[in-house]
Amino acid sequence: MTADSLSAAYTVEFPFERTVGPKIGTFLGGLRDGRLYGAQTERGVLCPPLEFEPETGAETGELVPVADTGTVTSWTWVPSRPGDPVPHDFAWALIAIDGTIGALFHVVDVDGDSARMATGMRVRARWRAERVGQLSDIECFEVAP
Amino acid sequence: MTEPITTMPSPFRMDYTYVAGTGRSVFLRGLAERKLMARRCAGCEQVYLPPPEFCSRCLRELEPPFELDGRGVVSTFCVVSFPFPGQRIDPPYVVAYIQPHGAGTRLMHLVREVEPEDVHIGMAVEPVWVSDDELDTSLLSIRHFRPVHNGGADA
Repeated sequence: MTADSLSAAYTVEFPFERTVGPKIGTFLGGLRDGRLYGAQTERGVLCPPLEFEPETGAETGELVPVADTGTVTSWTWVPSRPGDPVPHDFAWALIAIDGTIGALFHVVDVDGDSARMATGMRVRARWRAERVGQLSDIECFEVAP
Repeated sequence: MTEPITTMPSPFRMDYTYVAGTGRSVFLRGLAERKLMARRCAGCEQVYLPPPEFCSRCLRELEPPFELDGRGVVSTFCVVSFPFPGQRIDPPYVVAYIQPHGAGTRLMHLVREVEPEDVHIGMAVEPVWVSDDELDTSLLSIRHFRPVHNGGADA
């Protein structure tokens, strides 16, 4: 009897699908159409939208189109891994979309140069040509000219 | 106006390595030889199948492995009637906790060669092993358990 341990490679995989509800559903439909949407609230337009306003709990109102530009409010630099949205090092950032309240979490691509990242920097969505109604329909945000 | 999306894919996938450890490896290597290797704790007399290295109650190292024949009784079971992705057998089928004779722990496995409605707690069962070329260091070396028909009285 040998004392060494057996080991084996395993994969666990679940093909989940989420129902998204009417408001996030419209937001995702907007992404498919190449447009960003926010939800109207008493405090302003919330982007990304939610069914309920996070501070008051009140139901949010109609969805309205918003700009696809914004300002980076915070960010963190990460090394690129297989399957990431861009093929080199990049930043995950919270982006305040122009004219809205809230923060959109997405990739900022500065061609792998972290020295170009700063809070307060202006960014613009880079849309994919083929869109399906997911947050990845925005490939990333890039420095706005 | 934008047509809403109703569902979004949220797939989950994780690749990992299972490390059996020295104790479990004894059990798994036994399965490849059609043997169910158990170990006993000298402190509390608990017999583990499958056995770890140390007693989970006394933390004592277990005694050397010995073989059990795998016959036992159904201690509880469920009838799986629901299809799901990755399922290997068409439902309905029976998954049971089996208490092997001589062991203080239970094994989970399939109970087949019997109609689901005829399975009951306390039913005597025995392992059905796969053919030689299918034997592996895996619990799948036991194809399933089946009722003991000759001389296997219910417990």
